[in-house]
Amino acid sequence: MSLNTALSIAMAGLRANQAGLALVSSNVANAETPGYIRKATDQVAVNAGDGSSVRTIGVNRELDQYILAQLRTEMSGAGYATLKSSYLQQMQGLYGNPGSVGSLEYSFNALTTAVQALSTSADSSSARIGVINAAKTLAQQLNSMTQGIQNLRAGAETGIKDSVTTANNLMKQIATINNQLTANPLGGTSTDANTASLLDRRDMYINQLSQLMDIRVTTNGANQVSVFTGSGVQLVGNEAATLRFDAQGTVSAGTTWSSDPSKSALGSVMVDLPNGGSINLTATGAIKSGTIAAYTELRDKTLVEAQNQLDQFAASISSALSDKTTVSPAPVAPATAYGLDASKLLSGNTINLTYTDAATGKQQQITLMRVDSPDALPLKDTATANPNDKVIGIDFSQGITGILSQINGALGGSVTFSGTSLSSLSVTNNPAFATINTLSTTVTKPPGTLADGSTEFSLFTDNGSAYSGGISASGSQITGLAGRISVNAGVVADPSKLVAYDTNILSGDTKRSSFMLNQLTNASFTYGAQTGTGSTNAPFTGNLLSYMRQFVSQQGAAADAAKQLSDGQNVVLNTLDKKMADTSGVNMDDEMAHLLALQNAYSANARVMSTVNELYKSLMQAF
Amino acid sequence: MTISGVSGRTSYIGSGILDLRSQLDTLTKQLSSGKIADTYAGLGSGRSMSIALRSQLSTVAAYADTATNLNTRIGVANLSLQRLVKIGSEVKGAAVSAGGNFDNTGQTPGQKTASLDFFDSVDMLNARSGDRYLFSGRATDTAPVAPADQIMNGNGAAIAGLKQVIAERNTADLGVNKNGRVGTAIGTPTTSVVIAEEDATPAPPQAAQPFGMKASAISTTIVGATVTQPVDLPATVPPAPPATPVAKSMSIDLNGNVPKVGDQVKVTFTMPDGTKEDIVLTASDKTPLPANSFAIGQADPAAVPPVSASEATAKNLNTALGSAMKDLANGPMVAASAIEAGENFFDQPPLRVGSTPAGAATTLVAGDATNTVIWYHGEQNTAANGAARGSSVSQIDTSITVQYGARADEQALRNQLQTVAVFAAVAVVANKLSDANYAKNANAQIAALSQRVAKNLADVPGQQSVENIQADFAGAQAAIKSTTDRQVQTKAMAQTMLDGIEGINNDEVATKILALQTALQASYQTTSTLYQMSLVKFL
Repeated sequence: MSLNTALSIAMAGLRANQAGLALVSSNVANAETPGYIRKATDQVAVNAGDGSSVRTIGVNRELDQYILAQLRTEMSGAGYATLKSSYLQQMQGLYGNPGSVGSLEYSFNALTTAVQALSTSADSSSARIGVINAAKTLAQQLNSMTQGIQNLRAGAETGIKDSVTTANNLMKQIATINNQLTANPLGGTSTDANTASLLDRRDMYINQLSQLMDIRVTTNGANQVSVFTGSGVQLVGNEAATLRFDAQGTVSAGTTWSSDPSKSALGSVMVDLPNGGSINLTATGAIKSGTIAAYTELRDKTLVEAQNQLDQFAASISSALSDKTTVSPAPVAPATAYGLDASKLLSGNTINLTYTDAATGKQQQITLMRVDSPDALPLKDTATANPNDKVIGIDFSQGITGILSQINGALGGSVTFSGTSLSSLSVTNNPAFATINTLSTTVTKPPGTLADGSTEFSLFTDNGSAYSGGISASGSQITGLAGRISVNAGVVADPSKLVAYDTNILSGDTKRSSFMLNQLTNASFTYGAQTGTGSTNAPFTGNLLSYMRQFVSQQGAAADAAKQLSDGQNVVLNTLDKKMADTSGVNMDDEMAHLLALQNAYSANARVMSTVNELYKSLMQAF
Repeated sequence: MTISGVSGRTSYIGSGILDLRSQLDTLTKQLSSGKIADTYAGLGSGRSMSIALRSQLSTVAAYADTATNLNTRIGVANLSLQRLVKIGSEVKGAAVSAGGNFDNTGQTPGQKTASLDFFDSVDMLNARSGDRYLFSGRATDTAPVAPADQIMNGNGAAIAGLKQVIAERNTADLGVNKNGRVGTAIGTPTTSVVIAEEDATPAPPQAAQPFGMKASAISTTIVGATVTQPVDLPATVPPAPPATPVAKSMSIDLNGNVPKVGDQVKVTFTMPDGTKEDIVLTASDKTPLPANSFAIGQADPAAVPPVSASEATAKNLNTALGSAMKDLANGPMVAASAIEAGENFFDQPPLRVGSTPAGAATTLVAGDATNTVIWYHGEQNTAANGAARGSSVSQIDTSITVQYGARADEQALRNQLQTVAVFAAVAVVANKLSDANYAKNANAQIAALSQRVAKNLADVPGQQSVENIQADFAGAQAAIKSTTDRQVQTKAMAQTMLDGIEGINNDEVATKILALQTALQASYQTTSTLYQMSLVKFL
């Protein structure tokens, strides 16, 4: 009987309206819930006798998958750019307010001004103390900047650890939801409201994960997602892989990351695969974006380079004052041998030999560098900043015979060193092979040698000992020097040593102070490529000020560029966010209009029922 | 524009407003600090240039400090030099016009002036700028010149001053016979007169003993007389042994001739200070004999043995010469001795008479701080220590240095101080002036001394004068002035450029703030209005 049909259809209509109302209320209630996707009822007309009834078969998530995927990519990018910019801005704080107290240039200018004053009034004890204080300030400035940079690196290390913990949680949640979807008796693709809310949550977790690292997401027919790293390592399927990060407690300039776990002093992100294997994501460079990538880059590259720049500055300013190059005079006929004193070489000091090769007619620059252990050998040519020299490490821990045989072995007979005492070696060339052009030694004056007649002296020390740029198996002395540089305690105790370069030097003698002024303001040095200011083949060369200009402005430019990138990335992200909200978010006007429609439909359905009721009544009363 | 929420995923609504706010904050900070940014990142592409410019400004400021310091130092040194120039001309004037009026201290008024000026000179040479002594070379923390009173009178009994050194030298120069260590006698043949030094002189290259007068030359207009000049022994040529030292002498032999009235004999001696003094005796037949003459002798055939006129003249000549030489030794030689004693005292190290009794001494030995006042304590003006000006060098620009050092023992300064000191130190014994002979010698001494002082204070072409030092300082000041003028301009240019990089234009910033304020207000208003406009309100 069709009245029954009409009644049941009206009933179905009421149910559908109620379901719709429930969705409107849930949309309105969740308008501000993060990750909430606007839902709409999925209802179909079903054949019911003469008419069509309605059935709500589920809810639709109004999701634009394309925008979502784009959003995730940009989230990784924004996570990377924002973090990097924020760190670089913090680092700008270390470089100080341009030109103000507390900036590196201020400290350096203060030192040159103090030395200028000293060379005007060498006898003035206040001028001497002025130099000591300015030098101390500069050393402390370098120390504290190093501390700041290393704190940022430690922050990055902790940041990776936190990110890894968060990522693990998120991946577990994603896997859990995957499993819950599988467990749904209606199947993973069911459109029931429960499934829809699970999907909402899963999408939100994936979005959060994409801020941490760049990921690829695939969804299969059963609505299961698999999450891969950008390079294809699976992180989540039915089970979540576990990321592991072995964070190190202390981070200093000397602790560096290495792909070889036995040598690495800093943590790597490892993924433990369900099959038992593990992959080092840091070593393989698998994470290219997101905050983890930004942290890793800051920790291992950006901040390390900033530290290298400071270390090189500290090394140059220290060596500028303490290194003395002594040229051996050319032999006067009938003598044929150059004399050389190699007894005062410290680890890292060099014998510099230039000769013309008879066969090729070309000049060869050979740098013989003292090392104190055979483990440090062989040295690379980059051990000195000079791009044109061949560096040969000579192990001085052996006796003189061993030292000479190492040197002569390396020189292959072109030039021969001989002698019985390091303090008086003779150097001859074999005229058939080579002609010596110049021969000299570069020697660092130890902190205790303040008045031996040379203007060079250690104003700065490496935490009390000489800085001579030594290289050992465990690394170079330059690493972290900026954090250890200090003013020579011997000079602090006796500021007159700023003037007295020998015994019986009169107090108004300006020889040493003029030397200092010249070295600090005019003398030109070459700076290693590890500072990022030049290349191995064309290293940056200039005076201390121009080098400082170079790296301070380079850091400024990097921070500026990072900020612009971050701003740009955030604009893109905001745009996508808005697009996402437009398509998938709750629009209150829509919902209200929908509410009105549902209200009217509900009334109409009720009217149908009441009409059917009246019809039944008429029918009953007719009998 | 759809407004659907205020938090969480709808953060983009606020983001525009937040962006405006942060721009406003930045601008406010710029306005209050006057700087475009407080990080290098914010300075823009000029950041590298800004570091260079600030360094340049700092360097210029340091150079300006140096220039101020240097100007003060040179100014103070110049004042000293001006006073010294004045002292030089004062004392020279006093010496030229010196009369023989000794006062109760045995000094002339000119010497009194010199005495005051000497104290003044020491003060001038000990001039300081701040804590820095300006005439010590590099020993800027040491007073260059010992206290004036010590220089004059010594430091206690054991440490001799200039007066003692002059007195010792005087005794040594006079010799045991108080004759300046030269004597005269009738020679062989008896018509000759021999003037001989008392001390033997070794063969060159060994030097003669330094004291007393030295026989230098002899000449005469007497026809037929012959003179023998003093000669040095032949120089020692190793391996030949040196010749035996002999006392140097010169002689005149009348050869039996008798001088005419007016004929002259001239004997020249070298004084201790290197000057030469002549004794000229004229043959005379007058009675009494005029000064500076010798009597032409008469033959005395009755004597046993008989005496020829020539022999008698030689005898007279010998007597007159002996007396004149004694006068010379006790007159001008004393002045020359004092001058030379001053030279000895102001040498580094000072030279003292080598043995006692001084009259018999034949050597000068180096004194030291334990027995002689060392007048100069600054850096020695030696070739090893370089030029005096170079003892203070300051950089006043990247590649410009000025030299403004000075040492009190530079020739001009030492010479003047030494001369003034000797003039002030010499005194005669006032209560012996009643003795005519003493008074004569005293007058001769002071006349010779004044003459030497005047000569030593006069500028000698080719030798340094105090004015030369002033000229050097003036050159340094001119260099400082021109450099400073240039730096003032450099500084202004650098500052302008720096302001262009890190400074702000207040008007521009204020305008921007106004514009932002308007935009922000409009945004707040619009946002608020949009939130009002929801269907919810109208149901």
